[in-house]
Amino acid sequence: MKIAVLVKEVPDLEAHVEIAAGGKALILEKKRVLNYYDEIAVEAALQVKQSIGSAEIYAVSAGNGTGIEALRRALAMGVDRVIHINDPALEGAGPLVVSQALAGLVKREGFDVVFAGKKSTDDEAGMVGPMVAALLGIACVQGVTALRIDGKDITAKRETERGTETVKASLPVALTAEKGFYTPRVPQVMGIMKAMKAEVPKVSLAEVGVEAVSSPQVRGYNRPKVRLPVKMIEGAASQAASELVRLLREDVKVI
Amino acid sequence: MHFGLTEEQEFFRTAVSDTVERMIMPHVEKIDETDEFPTELWKEFSALGYLGLRYPEELGGIAADPVTSMIFYEELSRGSVGFAQAVIMNTLMGTHFLYRFGSPEIKERCLVPALRGEKITTMCFTEDQSGSDIANTRTLAKKVEGGWVLNGTKNWITNGPIADFATVLATTDPALGMKGLNFFLVEKGTEGFSPGQTIHKLGARGPVTGELVFVDVFVPDENLLGEEVGRGADYLGEILDEVRCMTGAMALGIARAAFNDALEYARKREAFGKPIGEYQLIRAKFADMATEMEASRLMVYQTAWMLGEGLPTRKIAAMTKMFATETCLKVVDEVTRIFGANGFAQEYGPQRYFRDARFLLYGGGTHEILRNFIGREIVVGR
Repeated sequence: MKIAVLVKEVPDLEAHVEIAAGGKALILEKKRVLNYYDEIAVEAALQVKQSIGSAEIYAVSAGNGTGIEALRRALAMGVDRVIHINDPALEGAGPLVVSQALAGLVKREGFDVVFAGKKSTDDEAGMVGPMVAALLGIACVQGVTALRIDGKDITAKRETERGTETVKASLPVALTAEKGFYTPRVPQVMGIMKAMKAEVPKVSLAEVGVEAVSSPQVRGYNRPKVRLPVKMIEGAASQAASELVRLLREDVKVI
Repeated sequence: MHFGLTEEQEFFRTAVSDTVERMIMPHVEKIDETDEFPTELWKEFSALGYLGLRYPEELGGIAADPVTSMIFYEELSRGSVGFAQAVIMNTLMGTHFLYRFGSPEIKERCLVPALRGEKITTMCFTEDQSGSDIANTRTLAKKVEGGWVLNGTKNWITNGPIADFATVLATTDPALGMKGLNFFLVEKGTEGFSPGQTIHKLGARGPVTGELVFVDVFVPDENLLGEEVGRGADYLGEILDEVRCMTGAMALGIARAAFNDALEYARKREAFGKPIGEYQLIRAKFADMATEMEASRLMVYQTAWMLGEGLPTRKIAAMTKMFATETCLKVVDEVTRIFGANGFAQEYGPQRYFRDARFLLYGGGTHEILRNFIGREIVVGR
């Protein structure tokens, strides 16, 4: 079985973020990591390999110079090989261009299962997984929290607002990973050393059959409104409830 | 000249840092509060294979160069200096002499399991009357038929009360001073070898620290860790600079942790209508701390690079340990001031950094001893 994992490099959730003067760009602290949902996808691929005995797992990322750290992390976790689609035309590229690039590469390399994170923790668009599936013409199950593979058949569970949905599909298939699917492993030092020394092969957009197309442009960034500080009300429940009503009526004026 | 880390070393740093944040940080407060050895965390962390860091692959290590090792020590100490202390005992001081001089059986029985974390180890220097002054060691090793008999008491032994084996410094004759010193392997369960009192420490809590008592402890000849009797001080010289550089890296780690907490606090905490980080006097603190930490970083990694190149490092390693530790002490002090009264509260990190940093003053030589040594090197030369 051949398993492709689509990964993205994102700013660390702890990284300091500022909006540049003019509001058109972000200034990000240079702390970049593998997207957490993609880590879950990598873990899922490794679990599938372990359960079926043998499989080849490769991870792929697309970006203009970004993606190497994410791919090294995937290598450290245990994927067999990685490929980086590196092209200046990917600078600021939207989900469609990125999906075309990833789909082009995955088609070239071959696949039975394509894993991706449900979304990235920076843009949170959640489009690349389903778009790649559409471009490849295969089924896609989004937000997977459990998976069983029996030969060519898969059974996946996904959480919806109304409860758990059980989905059956046949290979080849694309699956996007949701929190709770697996806890990503902390890499062993041997894996880290292997990843440190690995040469990461690079291909261009042209090599995966993609001509750059225009991408949506961000018009501006605004900070979220500042939330009012939390106020803890001490004391017995009945007194606290009275105080809460008083505050809602007199201070916040919502009742 | 190139002063940066390679892309690979940066990746290693990120990976270790991430491991520390996911695996160690959630336990930091509990380790400090209980001052108990975190057995489960030890097992989980050991399984990742870091304990063999500086040893060859055939022993389960990864043959990391000193720069890579310092990255590891720095990041680990950024998480928990107590836990780092226990780990580094297995990684460096407690295993080095077994690696250098242990028989194949000793390596198989003690070294390899220690590098897997299956055995906990320690190194015993300090006694009541001797610390940095190792020539004053009183633990006596007497030659007998087929081996040695050890008598004495060691103090301030990290992991001591729970160690499975110890590398013990003892003298064949106190009158010989440095020329009487030797290292011996003593394993748990050996008759006459027992833990004594446990020390309740101000900081660097977690690893159990205390006395080890030796009463007529017989060890066979192969447990003398050295090629010749009386060369223990020379052998110690092999790792002294690495130990001092490592202490500098630990100091840098604590300083970074404290600095980062303070930075986050200064950006958020408001006084008189704006974040305190916007006031000049607070910014000056950050400017001074960052400048001195940058100097520490350069010294630690320059020394590490020199160690890797096999260059003479006795003076620069002493300077590095002293400067990085003194910088760390300044930083943790400033950070408690930036936090205001919260810096005095157990619920916030600064008080822990403040206590932990002081631990680094003693190991690898007190700063009084190091200043004396550095000054002598400069004025008198060798």
